[in-house]
Amino acid sequence: MKIIVCVKQVPDTTEVRLDPVTGTLLREGIPSIINPDDKAGLEAALRLKDRYEAHVTVLTMGPPQADLALREALAMGADAAILLTDRAFGGADTWATSSTLASALSALEYDLIITGRQAIDGDTAQVGPQIAEHLGIPNISYAEDLRIEGNTVVVRRQYEDRSHILRAEMPCLVTALSELNEPRYMTPRGIFEAFRDRTVKILTRADLAIDDGNIGLKGSPTRVMKSFTKAVRGKGTVVELDARDAAGWIIERLQEKFVL
Amino acid sequence: MAQLIADRRDVDFVLYEQLEAEKLCGYARYREFNRKTFDLVVDEARSLAIKEILPTLAPGDREGLAFADGRVRVPECFHRPYKLYREGEWTAVTADPAVGGQGLPHLIAQAVGDYHLGANYAFTLFGWSGFGAGEMIEIFGTPEQREMFLKPMYSGRWGGTMVLTEPNAGSDVGALTTTGRRLEDGTYAISGAKIFITGGEHDLTENIIHPVLARIEEAPAGTKGISLFIVPKIWVNADGSLGGPNDVACTGIEEKMGIHASPTCSLAFGGKGQCRGLLLGEEHKGMKVMFHMMNSARLLVGAIGFTSASAAYLYALDYARQRRQGRDLEKSFDPEAPQVPIIRHPDVRRMLLWMKAHVEGMRSLIYYAARLLDHIRCESDPLQRDYWQGMMDLLTPVIKAYCSDKGFEVCSQAVQVYGGYGYTREYPVEQLLRDVRIAAIYEGTNGIQAMDLLGRKLGAKGGAVFMNLLQEIQRVIARARGLEPLAGLAESLAQAVERLGQTALYLGQTAMSPKLRTAFAHATPFQEVMGDVVMAWMLLWRASVAVPQLERLVGPAAGEERGSKIEGHKQAAFYEGQVQAARYFINSLLPVTMGKMTAILAADSAVVDIPEAAFGG
Repeated sequence: MKIIVCVKQVPDTTEVRLDPVTGTLLREGIPSIINPDDKAGLEAALRLKDRYEAHVTVLTMGPPQADLALREALAMGADAAILLTDRAFGGADTWATSSTLASALSALEYDLIITGRQAIDGDTAQVGPQIAEHLGIPNISYAEDLRIEGNTVVVRRQYEDRSHILRAEMPCLVTALSELNEPRYMTPRGIFEAFRDRTVKILTRADLAIDDGNIGLKGSPTRVMKSFTKAVRGKGTVVELDARDAAGWIIERLQEKFVL
Repeated sequence: MAQLIADRRDVDFVLYEQLEAEKLCGYARYREFNRKTFDLVVDEARSLAIKEILPTLAPGDREGLAFADGRVRVPECFHRPYKLYREGEWTAVTADPAVGGQGLPHLIAQAVGDYHLGANYAFTLFGWSGFGAGEMIEIFGTPEQREMFLKPMYSGRWGGTMVLTEPNAGSDVGALTTTGRRLEDGTYAISGAKIFITGGEHDLTENIIHPVLARIEEAPAGTKGISLFIVPKIWVNADGSLGGPNDVACTGIEEKMGIHASPTCSLAFGGKGQCRGLLLGEEHKGMKVMFHMMNSARLLVGAIGFTSASAAYLYALDYARQRRQGRDLEKSFDPEAPQVPIIRHPDVRRMLLWMKAHVEGMRSLIYYAARLLDHIRCESDPLQRDYWQGMMDLLTPVIKAYCSDKGFEVCSQAVQVYGGYGYTREYPVEQLLRDVRIAAIYEGTNGIQAMDLLGRKLGAKGGAVFMNLLQEIQRVIARARGLEPLAGLAESLAQAVERLGQTALYLGQTAMSPKLRTAFAHATPFQEVMGDVVMAWMLLWRASVAVPQLERLVGPAAGEERGSKIEGHKQAAFYEGQVQAARYFINSLLPVTMGKMTAILAADSAVVDIPEAAFGG
């Protein structure tokens, strides 16, 4: 079985602090990480590898520094890594990103593609399903559980109040939630080997068969109308009560505010 | 999220800007490493520490250990992180890959240790113990012993201990009475009772390997007649497989002030006459072998003091920024004035800067020592290797004693910053304070370290090693003299170094005179002042790295403009912190050290002269 995991390198937003005066993000010196949903997707693929001897390739699009995210994936146990990098890919919205990734994927062999649900620096949740559309393969999003049965993937898809069990024939694409699993830690040995013994394959604009109108800033129909910083509000109130008392407490607060 | 355990920016500063870790990759042994690999290793060590080890700190303390029927059960929450620690192969990161290690430089391993020890050292000691004891087998063992023991010990499958202390042989290890009797098959029958054995019995590993100091019949008295034996809890067959129990019984564990999750065991060897051991090294020369582990353990204990301090400082700093109490001093009589975070109060700032200076100075010192180990390991020129080894030997007692003492004091200051809450179990600093207290006692009390420094280390090679240290400090002074903002601090440190040289010479001579007892009565004060001067060295070194960076980032701005530039720039603020910490330590604390040296030079003998009856009581 061949699995390709798409990952994105993102700033570790848990380390981002707000400037208390201006309310803006202090981005300086923030470490980069593999997007948490993507990392869960990678872990899911590695577990399939452990069980079924699957071959796991990890793919990312980004600046040359994204090499580090791929090395991390290799250190965790991925078999191969591909970096799509070119200035021509810069400024891409979800359409251009998914077009570019799909173009690269269409030249590769796969039974299963796994992406994260969404990236913590964008929160769109569009890229995974768009890739599936481009490739014309089934897509199951929001996976909180995933297993293989014969030539199909069986996924528990999360909803707010319930879940669905869905089955799709491979090849297909699944988008993973970070709740899917707890990703494994890298080992020092894995890290050394990822840098010393492994190579990251680089693909550029010239390697893809795709129109200019579908890549980079030019291929991005999204227009940002306005961006603004949310006002910083105080911390919420934390009360620890059992369920019955908590419900009563909430009702009282809502009544105070004339919501009820 | 506030920084936990160790400030990553400061870790990187010491690794790459102060000690230039990347230069280590010039050694053939470290050629395959680079900055990216170092960074990822430290990142993942930090991740494991924060997500898996730190959450065991308080539960491990509350649950403690269970002892029944000779068995010790560790806190339940230790099992998962120990499995991850082992699977991640964090147990022997500096060891040679050929024997199951990762071959990592000691300097980088120290940064790893910052996070793992600082998260919960009672836990991390389990992970270190197999490697700590195994190293002796690697260096002094036979090829067969290495084959039998190294991999399981280095991988954390088997634990290890250090078995020295007996009820009447603690600091005076030469008084021990445990015996080893030659048997026909080449093994030795071990018999005796030992106490205070860390990790002597527990359920995290399938076997525990005890290096036991014992005396063979007809051996000379004192430390010269002591031999070292490998005594497994479960016998290990020649092919490495496990045999039966080896008559090592845990007869109890201590109820302690802190590290409630670390078993401090009493062990009975050969109670049924069936305990066997393998000789490690030569007969009667066990102390030489054991000293190898003791020196490593002393550095480890210094690191325990330091990492506890680092964690406590970061908690206190975060609390001081959050906690609002009182009004700004200028508005203290204005009831309408808003309450301010306590970090605004001068006395709280004093405590925080005192802690910061010591924590960062200790980080530099401990990392510096780790880099010495790398030089010693890799240097091909025997003269140069000797030079680094001398420096390491000289600094070992200072690191052990100074960092454990100051580690405790920093944790105590952290409790003070929290006020009444700090004394409660609701906040983590009281546990850090309890846990770190042992560091000044075990692995040779700090008094023993002071005697080692004065009696052995100061006079090594006719005092040449000590002079080399002063030369190293002079290099930093020369560099700082060339930087205008640091010139005054450089002069102050130069005076302290000169005074330290005089004090060492005088005390060394006194120790060889009839006033020997008076000299040793001043051994601990000397150790303290030497530690202070070393701290000032490290802090001035840091500042001399920071000043050019600060000028680059802030430019010629002065006054308020400079202040606001620094306030709004994280990197500039970091470098400014280096300069202010050096300034505080050298201008406000080093004068006290100068006074202490005046007292040592006066060599008052009240400590010796007071009749025992006059102590009262």
